[in-house]
Amino acid sequence: MLRIENCRLVWPDFRAEYTLTVAAGALCAIVGPSGGGKTTLLHMIAGFETPESGALSFDGQDLLPLPPAKRPVAMVFQDHNLFPHLTAEENASLGLRPSLRLDRSEREAVVDALAAVGLSGLERRRPEDMSGGQRQRVALARALVSRRPLILLDEPFSSLDPALREDMILVVDAMRRHRAVTILMTIHTPDEVADVADQMAFVAEGRVVASGSPAEVMSRPWSSDRSA
Amino acid sequence: MRLPLPHPGSIVAFAILALVGGSFIALVTIDGGKPTLLSIGPYLFRVLVFSLTQATLSTLLSIGFGTALALALARRRFPGRDAVLAALGTTMVIPGIVAVLAVISVYGRSGWIASGLSVLGWSSDASIFGYPGILIAHVFLNSPFVARIVLDGLSVVPAEQWRLASSLGFTPGQSFRHLDWPVLRAELPGLASLVFLLCFKSFAIVLALGGGPGRATLEVAIYEALKIDFDFGRAAWLALVQIAVCLSVTLALNRAFTRPPAALTTRLPAARTDRSHRALKRVDVGVLIIASVFIGPLLLSVLSGIAFIGAVLDRDVAVAFATSLAIATAAAAVACLLALALGAAARRARLRSRSPAVAAFYDILPNLLLAVPPFALTAGLFLMMRRFVEPAQAGFLLLPLINGLAALPFAYRSIAPRQFIAEERYGRLSQTLGLSGWSRFSIMDWPMLRRPFAAAFALSMALSFGDFGIVALFGGAELRTLPYLLYERLGAYRLDEASAIGLLILAMAFCLAHLSGRMSHAAD
Repeated sequence: MLRIENCRLVWPDFRAEYTLTVAAGALCAIVGPSGGGKTTLLHMIAGFETPESGALSFDGQDLLPLPPAKRPVAMVFQDHNLFPHLTAEENASLGLRPSLRLDRSEREAVVDALAAVGLSGLERRRPEDMSGGQRQRVALARALVSRRPLILLDEPFSSLDPALREDMILVVDAMRRHRAVTILMTIHTPDEVADVADQMAFVAEGRVVASGSPAEVMSRPWSSDRSA
Repeated sequence: MRLPLPHPGSIVAFAILALVGGSFIALVTIDGGKPTLLSIGPYLFRVLVFSLTQATLSTLLSIGFGTALALALARRRFPGRDAVLAALGTTMVIPGIVAVLAVISVYGRSGWIASGLSVLGWSSDASIFGYPGILIAHVFLNSPFVARIVLDGLSVVPAEQWRLASSLGFTPGQSFRHLDWPVLRAELPGLASLVFLLCFKSFAIVLALGGGPGRATLEVAIYEALKIDFDFGRAAWLALVQIAVCLSVTLALNRAFTRPPAALTTRLPAARTDRSHRALKRVDVGVLIIASVFIGPLLLSVLSGIAFIGAVLDRDVAVAFATSLAIATAAAAVACLLALALGAAARRARLRSRSPAVAAFYDILPNLLLAVPPFALTAGLFLMMRRFVEPAQAGFLLLPLINGLAALPFAYRSIAPRQFIAEERYGRLSQTLGLSGWSRFSIMDWPMLRRPFAAAFALSMALSFGDFGIVALFGGAELRTLPYLLYERLGAYRLDEASAIGLLILAMAFCLAHLSGRMSHAAD
């Protein structure tokens, strides 16, 4: 279980204080207006931002003293997830070994992960030769092979067209079901995840304003501007 | 049937080619075609070997030191870092003659180091003239420029990738391999070609610090053939060899000088993961100390001229300042107007006539001028006009023209892309509104061009103001610019006065470069 309790972050132009609980193995959609603090929340969990106060734990382990590389967290960003000079297989391998020196079983795990996101046969391709959707699948494969139980997706599909987005959300849902990972995903279009998400959190002005089932959150009055 | 008028850009392109071609024909034919390339063979070989050797060494040192400095600056934060970055950005306008002054003031026989050693009772017979002086001056001018460009390249690595590196636990070696090296691999070939070209064509530094006729670049050899030996044929052959070498490098430069596109990053910049590594910290501190010890005294030596400003401000300096300013203004006008005309022609060829090859010709023409030796061009033009004007008058006409042509590549790079964007955004709208001619320029183009135009104008002025190039041919009692005056005072070993004049040139060039930087970064 992911527990965030009164984690406070302060900048000259922005303040945030988060409290949220996500059950183990759940898919939690983070929605809310632009600039409301969705990405900052994920950055804090990943260790890129350090709260001034509060508590943050996953499965009972205190995450705050850990640097990003030691946290049980894998992250996929909206853009720039892949290194352009590496192939799809090498990019995915980074999740397992940043040195790229893999033994046979590790290499097989990478190939399996690429297959799991529908990229069999494209292992040797470089990012410039792949579509936006394929690139994001490689990033998902990297998150999978890292075997980290908490995956953070920061608007990973916002640059894709609606049909492809729907397809990718199904890939994420399958990942969550078959690999027993907990997923937090920020998204601009909550309707698209309403059917697969177990939980939805509405974040605005640096706070989790509401959290519950997607139907519950989307029926509240603020949901009219949830994707602003 | 009425024939359509040619585009002003076509006329400008034709005029540039005619000027270059005409000046070479004038040079080659003045001596009846003699001497031949064969007769100057051994001399040419010696000059070529020296030019290539010093340019290669200067490039290797500048690239190596500049890259190390860029990486150290990318990894470290310290008080005054922003000021250091601003200073690095403006080094490209430090005139060569001012670098000469700095090197002599610090490393010369009676320079700071020699004086310091003599206080301690030591003396040294080492001479700064020859390779040491030339290499120090070239590295002083070029390594900060390299550092700035590489640092800009490193800063466009998306913050997401540094966060990824942090999340995946990259070691410093892995960070270098996956994040820094791709940037360096993209930047360094083009940058090395540019530095090589600048050092290969170096004039003021080699003339003043070469230490004799045995140490001449092709540019200096052309100057000596024209000014001392009046051997126009030799100058023409030397110029053709220089053009061949420079064209090869310029064409390579045109292909290689690419930069990864700037990437949008998230709100907060990410910290580099290799910043906390202890061994790297020691390396970076070492590089920054070496840079301060190397660059600091050279800059300070010029700044020390402030103590003598009052003593040096006489009528000669005032006239030279006004002359430099007038020539720089005229040169900037030449550069910007030509860039405007060529850019418009390239845009028309690309968007309306659908002739990418013609557009590419307009794009590459300003860069090709980098390959043409200004002395050969000047001498050829002077030969064509000498029946009509006196040498000093010719100087007043040719200095703005040649300096303007020298600044054209930089002006074009600033202006032409904005012209293209203006057409893409508003071209169709202008057509539907029936805008043409002056109204089209003033309503559609000028609002988008005025800032890059101002930036290009200021930069062209800065480059021309400090130039000690062809003024060496025409300079004298009737035509004296500030750099020429500085060269005279250096020659007379009046170092205090020279440093005051150097400071004036530097201050003016920095102000103009700063203005140019502000204009080019400002929003429309």
